[in-house]
Amino acid sequence: MELRVTERTETELSIEIGGEDHTFMNVLKGTLLEHEDIAAATYDVNPEQSGGQTEPILTIKTEPGVDPIDALEEGAGNIRDKTTAFRNAFEAAV
Amino acid sequence: MTEEYDVEFVETGDRKARFLVRGVTPAFANGLRRAMVADVPTMAIDEVRFIENSSVMFDEQLALRLGLVPLTTPPEGEFVDGDTVTLSIDVEGPGTAYSGDLVSSDSLVQPAEDNVPIIDLKDDQRLEAEADALIERGKDHAKHQGGVAVGYRHLQRVEVEGDLPEFEDERSQIVRGVIEDDGELVPTSEFDDDLSNRYPGKEVSVEDVPNAFVFHVETDGSFTVDELVTRAVESLEARATELEEAVQL
Amino acid sequence: MSYKCSRCKRDVQLDEYGGVRCPYCGHRVLLKERSRDVKEVDAH
Repeated sequence: MELRVTERTETELSIEIGGEDHTFMNVLKGTLLEHEDIAAATYDVNPEQSGGQTEPILTIKTEPGVDPIDALEEGAGNIRDKTTAFRNAFEAAV
Repeated sequence: MTEEYDVEFVETGDRKARFLVRGVTPAFANGLRRAMVADVPTMAIDEVRFIENSSVMFDEQLALRLGLVPLTTPPEGEFVDGDTVTLSIDVEGPGTAYSGDLVSSDSLVQPAEDNVPIIDLKDDQRLEAEADALIERGKDHAKHQGGVAVGYRHLQRVEVEGDLPEFEDERSQIVRGVIEDDGELVPTSEFDDDLSNRYPGKEVSVEDVPNAFVFHVETDGSFTVDELVTRAVESLEARATELEEAVQL
Repeated sequence: MSYKCSRCKRDVQLDEYGGVRCPYCGHRVLLKERSRDVKEVDAH
């Protein structure tokens, strides 16, 4: 996973996440939107045949006073909480 | 943030299962489905060395067929990217060469199915070859896809609204998947997918239960359903961990 | 180079002077045999 920040202000961040596709990006976006300090989160991917930018770009807007990088870190942590919870629930049911 | 998930099996099996997950977002459900299809690595033959091929098919055609044979995939950590396992096949006609004729150098990597026909050999025809299998993801080639029929549907809640008007004809109401009737999970196949069979003379309402998904998972035999689901979740988790660490700079 | 005569099915060795002709039956159609080398193919 190669990260490259393309745009950054105090409450806005655009970051390219190399090597990922909808599988992870949509989970990430969905989880970020549940975060209360995040006002907006989206991602954009271009098809391979289009040439140019093909790695997904994640864009986050946060509430005033919240660093988007920190919010992203928390979002990634929240995915981990989800996967752990899912795995525990699944293993309990098997 | 604490997550509350609940998993309940509707149909259990090694290669095919159905289970209900409650409390999951559509994004997560889809991420899991996609990970099962494209991101869980499996073993498959990738290169074949033909020592003798006097059959009617070209080497390339046979190589493709051998590649498509599902192989059992060893537990995680047992193999890493780039590791190979050698399998050999030596069959003389008349007769058919089957996937079961492949002899593996590793007991953990075996044909998952013994009766896949490779080629029909006539008198004096012979196939002798050696193949290297490696572990890759479904993203790279469909032969590395462990989950072959993976999908989900909303759980549907059925409620009896009342009796049908006295002179109204019974009309069939088709529903597919799993329904929830008073807390009980019922696969629609039990009543031929037709609610009018289960509730004759009744008026019923059907609605999707939010955040409750019934997964249908079928594997190609590379591993069990449990194994596939667990590995898919782990692949998502690994990426989340990687992102979390990369951001902490 | 080893060939096989398409009429009498015998193995034929060709040299550069003899031309394309079976030394046993004179037939002019010769089939090239598959090489004994191991052939490596990608299973893609």
